Amino acid sequence: MPLRAARVGRVGVVGAPVAKTAVIAAAVTPGPSPVAKTAVVAAAVTPGRRVRRRI
Amino acid sequence: MTEVVESMEANTDLDSLGPVDYVVVEFPAGASSFTGEMAKELVALVESGTIRVIDILILTKNSDGTIDAAELADIAELGELQALEAQLAELLAEDDVVHLAAAMDPGSTAGVLIYENLWAAPLASAVRHSGGKLIANGRIPIQAIIASIEADEARATEGV
Repeated sequence: MPLRAARVGRVGVVGAPVAKTAVIAAAVTPGPSPVAKTAVVAAAVTPGRRVRRRI
Repeated sequence: MTEVVESMEANTDLDSLGPVDYVVVEFPAGASSFTGEMAKELVALVESGTIRVIDILILTKNSDGTIDAAELADIAELGELQALEAQLAELLAEDDVVHLAAAMDPGSTAGVLIYENLWAAPLASAVRHSGGKLIANGRIPIQAIIASIEADEARATEGV
């Protein structure tokens, strides 16, 4: 791992080993095509399209 | 007096610093296709003042788990990234490289980008001035939004 000398022996800023970002299984199971999913997501983040339930 | 002024200047700079994030983008073995599109978009974000690039490294995780790290300057033809290379702060240390590479699969290559969110700096500063402090942040994956919508649809179909 040939790093520049300036990077060696310094205190790091990333505190711990990083885990791979999880891909949620439900989103990759068979279903609507990616294009259709994109449209659904766009609708979901559009104001007023989704009913918010009080917790 | 000079020390006080320098200290105040340092505080002012710190006060106006935007949130600093990192992304690690993995390219599985044989799956990369570098056309210059990523570099073009990254440079556009910098030129628009949306972000400031603090550090970039290109990591390769070998099949035996060892890691090779390349500096941006090590790349023969930087193209549009040439303009960014001179501004890098080399924030990442050797330990960081090991920690970031933990997310990589053997045989893959990854680009690591450390950047300041310049767009968020004024808001972050205003929040601090108002007495607020960041207690949580994160990213919601698109996959999670899709999963949530699909769950809603399934619930509606079942008439629950």
